[in-house]
Amino acid sequence: MTLSQATAAVTAAPPVLHPCAGQSMTGAEIVVQVLADEGCRVLFGYSGGAILPVYDAVFRYNERHRTADGREPMPLIVPANEQGAGFMAAGHARATGDVGVAVVTSGPGATNLVTPIRDAMADSIPLVAICGQVPTALLGSDAFQEAPVAGIMGACAKHVFLVTEPTQLEATLRSAFEIARSGRPGPVVVDIPKNVQNAGLVFDGACRLPLPGYRARLRAIEQAHLDDAACNELLRALAQARRPLIYAGGGVIAAGAAAALATFVDTFGVPVTTTLMGLGGFDTTHPLALHLLGMHGTAHANYAVEDCDFLLALGARFDDRVAGVPAQFAPRARFIAQIDIDPAEIGKVKRVDWHHAGPLAPALERLVAHGRARGLRPQLAPWHAHIAALKRRHALDWDRASAAIQPQAVIEAINRITRGEAIISTGVGQHQMWAAQYFDFRRPRHWLTSGSMGTMGFGLPAAIGAQLARPDALVIDIDGDGSIRMNLGELETVTTYDLPIKIVVLNNRGDGMVRQWQRLFFAGRFAATDKNLHRKDFVRAAQADGFEWARRLEDKAALDATIEAFLAHPGPAFLEVMIDPEAGVYPMVGPGANYAQMVTGPFIAARSATPVSEAEVPATAMF
Amino acid sequence: MKHTLSILLQNESGALLRVAGLFAARHVNIDALTVAVTHDPGVSQLTLVLHGDAGVLEQILRQLRKLVDVLDASSLSLVGSGERSRLVATSA
Repeated sequence: MTLSQATAAVTAAPPVLHPCAGQSMTGAEIVVQVLADEGCRVLFGYSGGAILPVYDAVFRYNERHRTADGREPMPLIVPANEQGAGFMAAGHARATGDVGVAVVTSGPGATNLVTPIRDAMADSIPLVAICGQVPTALLGSDAFQEAPVAGIMGACAKHVFLVTEPTQLEATLRSAFEIARSGRPGPVVVDIPKNVQNAGLVFDGACRLPLPGYRARLRAIEQAHLDDAACNELLRALAQARRPLIYAGGGVIAAGAAAALATFVDTFGVPVTTTLMGLGGFDTTHPLALHLLGMHGTAHANYAVEDCDFLLALGARFDDRVAGVPAQFAPRARFIAQIDIDPAEIGKVKRVDWHHAGPLAPALERLVAHGRARGLRPQLAPWHAHIAALKRRHALDWDRASAAIQPQAVIEAINRITRGEAIISTGVGQHQMWAAQYFDFRRPRHWLTSGSMGTMGFGLPAAIGAQLARPDALVIDIDGDGSIRMNLGELETVTTYDLPIKIVVLNNRGDGMVRQWQRLFFAGRFAATDKNLHRKDFVRAAQADGFEWARRLEDKAALDATIEAFLAHPGPAFLEVMIDPEAGVYPMVGPGANYAQMVTGPFIAARSATPVSEAEVPATAMF
Repeated sequence: MKHTLSILLQNESGALLRVAGLFAARHVNIDALTVAVTHDPGVSQLTLVLHGDAGVLEQILRQLRKLVDVLDASSLSLVGSGERSRLVATSA
């Protein structure tokens, strides 16, 4: 049998026959049935001509399967713009670990989804995006609302399918979910021409594409287990280390390995610093937690990286926001080890002395069992004392005496009430970094942020997706005035669906992070980032979109009481806080600088900083 | 240094574009490329020449192996000389 024949129908013998197997269905009905089978409980999307058959099938499915209390089993949440739908699906996926689903029409519907798809790819978030497409007979004819989605999305997504053969639709869609959630997760786009949605088909209930190359490699990775020799080598290096450190990334969360990491730390006493994507992968209130590292990491985390003699990277990829100068990252580490599900990340940026490409949780459990069996208990009291002293001496701090409201005070006030239990989403910029620095993160999937792509406008739609996934959770969008503008239309989506989301806009009248760079590297020329002339009244905008609780906070003395009232409001609430426009994000490891050259700012104690040497690349050229 | 890659690719819509797009996105130039269908019409054989150091070669091979359509990707080396020379897949 050739591969192409195999592609036609590979039916793994199902343990139980699907109740709908053998039924006649349209392509659109098959789409909805597969979504239901894959556990999809909510869809996000905007209608249009080329996706109408699927939308109609969703409508009919929801009518037929209403729950006992009259709810729809698969509600379709309609955003203001398809970009919102993509970020809602991503917020849903980030808050649960399940595959988020967006369903949009052809042409502009699909192209509006490009940014969230790339964002999900860059942060390894599992999504399935279903795009309507013009009928196959019109493909390539410059038809109305036609866009070359396979080409556009192929450059952004983990994979893209264009379904031209109706009999392949069911297997393709089921395989799309498998690809999205397996290995290193990511977004998969399924482009479905309208005639395929309307085709008369017979439902199988179990068929999948063979995907021989992908499946073979996935199996090899998933079955990669640490053998005794590999455990011995790593644990021998750990036993010899005096100052070991774990550098934990988003992979800890994606792999569901937070519990295994906590056990590893309890067993061997190795302190942990987390990346922006890894926040929540290790309880930041733990005595051995150093919180965030990197460009805007805590001073104590970055100094610990400078001081460590052994570094274990877990689901982290030494990206430029952490290792701006890879050769000078962790300069005293005599042994660097890396565990990642993606073999392409091993040694991509920084050479490592030991690595394992495979699932993280079993690897950590194996190392714990191996170490315990051999009585490994590193004696790290001096290092722990050093870590405690770093945390004491170089704690985060800000201008507490200022008459202006400082953004850090707002985050701290919210954190005092929520105690690391709220789900926090953010836009991108200074407010994102303050939120990352000043919130406690007790557990995974409470921190939703656009890490790698850094997409402004992410926070509000992501909060909507998270609130729909976790109806009982307190979901707070910490946003900036620049970021929230990007998807401000979604304010109305919050009230349309009566979601009790709390939205905080830290308004510094401009693009604060870019201004910070312009202040430092462009002699204070604030090209296009000063918004003092903007006339927007955010509170009235929120009221116009139906927010009954919408206030502006300008008086520092009213901060605690206002935030308490804001968080206590049972429904949607909007709080604009006029913050000090001069507030900066510190510490900062400048572009092209190493951690020893970190600038801690006026309120955080620094160790004697190594002056930044004449850089080969000027700071104005860095990003 | 010059490297020759052999890639077995499933004949799916847009598969060649995804391979070519990967090289463009990773900023690796393709010096030469041939594509031919194999005895299995569902599978194409790509032979591709690129320039780069060992790190570039290793990274592009690992990235190629992440593409869903790619069945196999390996680097070829010329073994032997004269009429007896042949290209064999190396483990890089």
